[in-house]
Amino acid sequence: MERASVLSAIEQALTEVLERPVTGLTDDIRLFEDLHLDSTSILELLMALEDAVGISVDPEDLDMEDFRSVGSLTGYVLSQQATSEV
Amino acid sequence: MNGATTLERIESFLPERSVRIDDVAESLGLRRAEVGVFRKIYGLDRLRFDPGTGLFDLVLPAARQALKALPEGRRIAYVIYAHTMQTLTPPHIDAAQVIREDLGLPDAEAFALTQQACVSSLGAIDLAGELLRAEAPEGAYALMVTGERAYSPKVQLIPNSAIMADAAAACLVTLDGPGDRVRSHVTRTLGEFAAGLDMTKEQTQGFGRVYGTVLGEVIHRAVREAGLRFDEIDLVIPHNVNLVSWRQTIKDMGADPARFFLDNVAHYSHTYASDVFVNYTTLRERERLVDGRHYVLVSVGLGATFGAMVITHRRRSA
Repeated sequence: MERASVLSAIEQALTEVLERPVTGLTDDIRLFEDLHLDSTSILELLMALEDAVGISVDPEDLDMEDFRSVGSLTGYVLSQQATSEV
Repeated sequence: MNGATTLERIESFLPERSVRIDDVAESLGLRRAEVGVFRKIYGLDRLRFDPGTGLFDLVLPAARQALKALPEGRRIAYVIYAHTMQTLTPPHIDAAQVIREDLGLPDAEAFALTQQACVSSLGAIDLAGELLRAEAPEGAYALMVTGERAYSPKVQLIPNSAIMADAAAACLVTLDGPGDRVRSHVTRTLGEFAAGLDMTKEQTQGFGRVYGTVLGEVIHRAVREAGLRFDEIDLVIPHNVNLVSWRQTIKDMGADPARFFLDNVAHYSHTYASDVFVNYTTLRERERLVDGRHYVLVSVGLGATFGAMVITHRRRSA
């Protein structure tokens, strides 16, 4: 999956979790400070992404560093996809 | 009178009807992603939930079963109904009295305990022992019962924590009997979280931050007060709140996850004050409880009270 597709999936997942339309995301947007996610809604976002982009999140192996910004989250999703394709 | 509190018979009861958490999501107002978090991260899957079962239909079977272990000629001095939600019946019905009467124990003193929410059942066992020592005739028994229904979405969902389910349990208590010996009971109450289900988001997050540390400390203290080291504990028999809270607690304790019995979280979810007894009976049926070994019963009640009780199991004929 390409980066642009992942970004689009993140927008859709955020729309579902935040219950408001989320569009026009850029890599530098911060999930906590700018989008006001918290540790709970981050998990919901991951669950929504699991279905959308075909990754499987390991709850015992989550690093909050991956969820600082849209860019780092996109990187996380792409790396999980690479792992699941191995 | 002196004497150690002993648990002569523990029984539990689960309604037959088993549903998946997805089946209650709509009534609880849970979005798909929230159900995903409860399933994948919190480790919940199924629960027993039967709106057709009345409160007393739920509570009485385990109580009747436990009473069968009462030796001939002995009497029950106290019936203590431990529950989480303060109001379970209309005001004109005193549930503890109904339970006492339905069990045919007119001479027993019956009352309820709720102030420690889901850990009230451990407190009730401790209190039963204290009452038996303080004022009961020698050889008297007490019956602690639990059981309450997730009767409304408002009491079934603890946001970001648990989905409550139906179950009941009973524990026959006496002094110096042949049953499991209670070696210690420790509680710690953090009054700043007294609002319970009505906590603000900040309070809920604060509770989450201290939860694992405080629970670990309470478990360790109970083990110390029992005169034991944690490596002498065969298993921790916990409440079924969710796997995230337990993972954090186990990590904070630096303990081996294999020493915590968490199998039932996915099967039964959190059943108010009944979890540890449901889990105890599961372990007993699997012949996993070893004569002479030590176990820690643990639960946490919103409000917020952390409780742990160390027992030494003693095998006896059913």
